[in-house]
Amino acid sequence: MIRSQKFWIAVCAVIFAASAVWCILVLTGSHGNTVTVKQDGRVIFTLDLSKETDREFTVEYEGRKNIIEISGGRIRMKAADCPDHVCVNTGWLTANIPIVCLPNKLVIEYAEPDTGLDATAG
Amino acid sequence: MKKLYGIVAAAMMLSSCSGAEQNEKVSRSVFAMDTYMTLMAYGDNAGEALDAAVVRIQELEAKWSVTDSGSEIYKADRSPGQPIAVSAETAELVAFGIDMNNKTGGALDISIYPVLKEWGFTTGSYKVPTDERIAELLENVGASRVTVSGSEITVPEGMMIDLGSVAKGAAADKVCEQLREAGVASALLDLGGNVQAVGSKPDGSKWKIGIRDPHGEGTVGTLSIENKAVVTSGGYERFFTENGNTYHHIMDPSTGRPAESGLLSVTVVGESGRYCDALSTSLFVMGAEKAEEFWRNENKGFDYIIITEDAGLLITKGISDDFITSSGRGDLKVTVVE
Repeated sequence: MIRSQKFWIAVCAVIFAASAVWCILVLTGSHGNTVTVKQDGRVIFTLDLSKETDREFTVEYEGRKNIIEISGGRIRMKAADCPDHVCVNTGWLTANIPIVCLPNKLVIEYAEPDTGLDATAG
Repeated sequence: MKKLYGIVAAAMMLSSCSGAEQNEKVSRSVFAMDTYMTLMAYGDNAGEALDAAVVRIQELEAKWSVTDSGSEIYKADRSPGQPIAVSAETAELVAFGIDMNNKTGGALDISIYPVLKEWGFTTGSYKVPTDERIAELLENVGASRVTVSGSEITVPEGMMIDLGSVAKGAAADKVCEQLREAGVASALLDLGGNVQAVGSKPDGSKWKIGIRDPHGEGTVGTLSIENKAVVTSGGYERFFTENGNTYHHIMDPSTGRPAESGLLSVTVVGESGRYCDALSTSLFVMGAEKAEEFWRNENKGFDYIIITEDAGLLITKGISDDFITSSGRGDLKVTVVE
């Protein structure tokens, strides 16, 4: 009986410890620097801006091009050959508003926007 | 043994923080109606309900698109002048557009499309049209000349209609209704900056909606809502610059030129998405004074947040307690409209 009791205490202790670790991970999980680049709804790049070196790269869609720039932990659409340039005019990515290029179906957004907001109107 | 129960209870309590599956967020994204939409919902049926919502949005777009040659609006625009049979929901939305044209004294006009096109806002090939060209095009603008009879609509020859100023709001209404019918009690739609909520968050608290700062990145403040639509129109959304002048996409139907009403953005909050959608454009065209007058005439049946060019923020009483100005915009002069 005593052995059995110790056994269950040990089991509970393990569950307790595992739960505690899990909760800490969930509650303090780092987010805020991970950015996804999606084309037509599909994630084509996942970038951790805190680790990326400054660079530019080109994404193509049906022959049309978008140039994405990463600089000093920020990301933006540097150039696009779409007519309206809404994406370029959006500037550097902020947590609230994704950078969207409609003609080329390209979206740059934070993977887990940590703004305390559920959505932004505008 | 007491100690044992204590440990078991503690373990269960901690484990329970991972047992929130039924409140897990499900989301979908879709490119439709010339914008990027994100839908999110909570609950058991959330995934299926959102898949159905995406299909619904695409169906509505196929009916209402002004550029898709298969759409009902496309056909009506090229009738020419003949009655065209359309679906009940299209006829109903066109009738709503005509009604809002009348109600807003012409500030909203679903037949402004040819003017918007001339300025290049539909294609991205921007140009400032001549006064003569604008005057010529305005002769064929006037939503009151469009007629709806049963499920037939008639667009007079030479005129074109476009539901762009009400379609996203109307789609949000229909999707919210569909989600509620599917048993979803908590969902938030972001149809390209048109936000609409079903219920509140799963924990019962209100959704926190940022109101975009017309001056750039970030927000002017946060509005807490439940079961409401929040729709913003601003000149910053689409514009071009020529010879040092900036021209934005919100046309004043009375001049055929970008509205110069002293406003940077108008956010309308209310029950009906399409009504808020229509009003955010109309109030922007009207300007602050006429907007307030309109709000009184409508028995304060909606709320608004207006950002003026001279850094004023006008907010109606109904939502002023649910709004918090962003810390970075302490310069805004807030006025509560009662």
